[in-house]
Amino acid sequence: MKLSSIRPITLLISKELMITAFLLLGVSFVIFIILFLSPGDPFSAMVKGQIMSEAATKGASDALVVPDAWYSQYLSWLNNMLHGNFGTSTRSGLPVLREVVLVTINTIYLTIGSMFVTLLLAIPIAVVSARRGMTPFTWPATIFTYVISALPVFWLGYIVIYISMHQFGLFPLAFGSMSKKFSWIYFMLPVFVLGLGNGTISEVVRYLRDEMERVFAEDYIRTARAKGASIWKHSFKEGFLIPITEIIASKVSFILGGAIVVEQVFNWPGMGRMAWQAAQDRDYPLIMGITLMAAIIVRLGSLIQRVVHIIVNPRASQE
Amino acid sequence: MKRYSQHKTIVSNLSGVAFWKKAGAMNLLYVSYGIAIVSTVIVSYILGAFELLPFDPQEIDLKLMITSPGSSGHILGTDFMGRDILSRLIIGIQAYFLPGLLAIAIAIIFGTWFGVLAGYWGRGFDTSITYINNLLNSFPRLVLILLMVAAFKPDIYYIMVIVGITNIPVVASLIKGKIQFLKGKFFIEAATALGLKNRVIIFKHILWHNCRSVLIIQATLQMAEAILMETSLSYLGFGVQEPTPSWGNMVQAGANYFMQGKFWPSTAPALAILFTIMGFHLLGDGLNNIFERKQKI
Repeated sequence: MKLSSIRPITLLISKELMITAFLLLGVSFVIFIILFLSPGDPFSAMVKGQIMSEAATKGASDALVVPDAWYSQYLSWLNNMLHGNFGTSTRSGLPVLREVVLVTINTIYLTIGSMFVTLLLAIPIAVVSARRGMTPFTWPATIFTYVISALPVFWLGYIVIYISMHQFGLFPLAFGSMSKKFSWIYFMLPVFVLGLGNGTISEVVRYLRDEMERVFAEDYIRTARAKGASIWKHSFKEGFLIPITEIIASKVSFILGGAIVVEQVFNWPGMGRMAWQAAQDRDYPLIMGITLMAAIIVRLGSLIQRVVHIIVNPRASQE
Repeated sequence: MKRYSQHKTIVSNLSGVAFWKKAGAMNLLYVSYGIAIVSTVIVSYILGAFELLPFDPQEIDLKLMITSPGSSGHILGTDFMGRDILSRLIIGIQAYFLPGLLAIAIAIIFGTWFGVLAGYWGRGFDTSITYINNLLNSFPRLVLILLMVAAFKPDIYYIMVIVGITNIPVVASLIKGKIQFLKGKFFIEAATALGLKNRVIIFKHILWHNCRSVLIIQATLQMAEAILMETSLSYLGFGVQEPTPSWGNMVQAGANYFMQGKFWPSTAPALAILFTIMGFHLLGDGLNNIFERKQKI
């Protein structure tokens, strides 16, 4: 690639980076507002249960709580976070950042794995039905994708656990405490369940099929076919690469939501389970850290999608 | 850019034909299944509201624990406390029906409003609305709801308000795209030239005549989403609480017996969820195929 063609791409990518940073700022503001408006403050939680007179409470409050306006509270909170200080979990007393990063890795593994499962199922159906229309293979397959994506994922989880228990004698409920021999199966089961049951397959198939049909009808594909060139090669960028990255980027947040339920079913030590626990305990710093981390993952997903789009087609992204 | 379409002429010839004649058999199948499911849900909701149930959903009968379907008058059997599953399924509709309608109303009304602002009045609105859309899209919905649960302990109606708000971007971007497409058309130009008010153009010529079907399709798809959200939350224990039945907490309550090989108490509500969500999805997608992709037939 020549230098002259790299420069506009770098400009576009740095613009995307700025947009992402700006959006994450907005995300942090929304989280702050929600927690700011929530009833109950740390101070009253601290003095609760201790015998204090009205005057003593007021005196302690004056001494301890700085009566700041909301914007200076937000700025100091943001400043803390930028320095990596997300506070400590009220339940375990450990720093939030460390806890969240540890579980995020598990969740990312689960999310990426289940996306592969979804795509492995969706792409063949989409390609065949875009190419051949409704055939005796594609219409049952399409109905099947609708059934799969309406299936409640927790129930699918129970079925898979039941089968693995009774057919193979495995107990995936006790995650991590089993022998090493079958441990890969415990990793596979939740990935498989979330990949099938995240409820997006019918939408993914539909979107990919529509995009491929559109690209196959373009003039340049017709020309390619007329001169005997491979239409797969010509339609790869616009018909496959861009739609697939687009649908993945837009479904990241949906699959992260599904991961909460699946992690609950399988006792998977990930972000969703921790979020569930934090919501149960009203552990503000922890749930805040998790929400922020989830938003960062979603933003990274769409950043990658934008970068792929820019590299594949720099001219179209300039508009 | 001109896109070559072989079907253009065929469509114009068919324009006088009723839509169900040119819709494919597949789409008609989708839509009729969807309408059957939706009317079943509505009728069951009304039956439940007037308490016209085969049994009392809260009546505990410890002699009839986990019976199979059809035994001693219980059409769908009984759960682990001997309560009639069919009655509980019917009452369980109340857990999502009105909250779901609330979520749909919020998403449709505000989404249309934002979409019109962004599409019709252009740049400044467009940029800020795109920003808000991206912002709302950054939160995984269930994570945001868990944050709200931790902060406020809201009940199901407030949760559905959040679901509605997070659905606003979907509707807004659809309406925006539609309006940007329509703005270049001659009939809008003609309407402006005739001196019609912006209000009339937007509400009558754009929204009523051209965006009606999009909004109906979105409403059906979002009902499916609301059901999914309600059942997931009730399953996680943050939605409707026992003993009030909801399909999600019924699956969860039956799960303890699932591992003993007694599948039915948790499978019955799971099947109800499956058929209902599928019904709403198929109705939305079928209508979409029939009304929005006419040129492809």
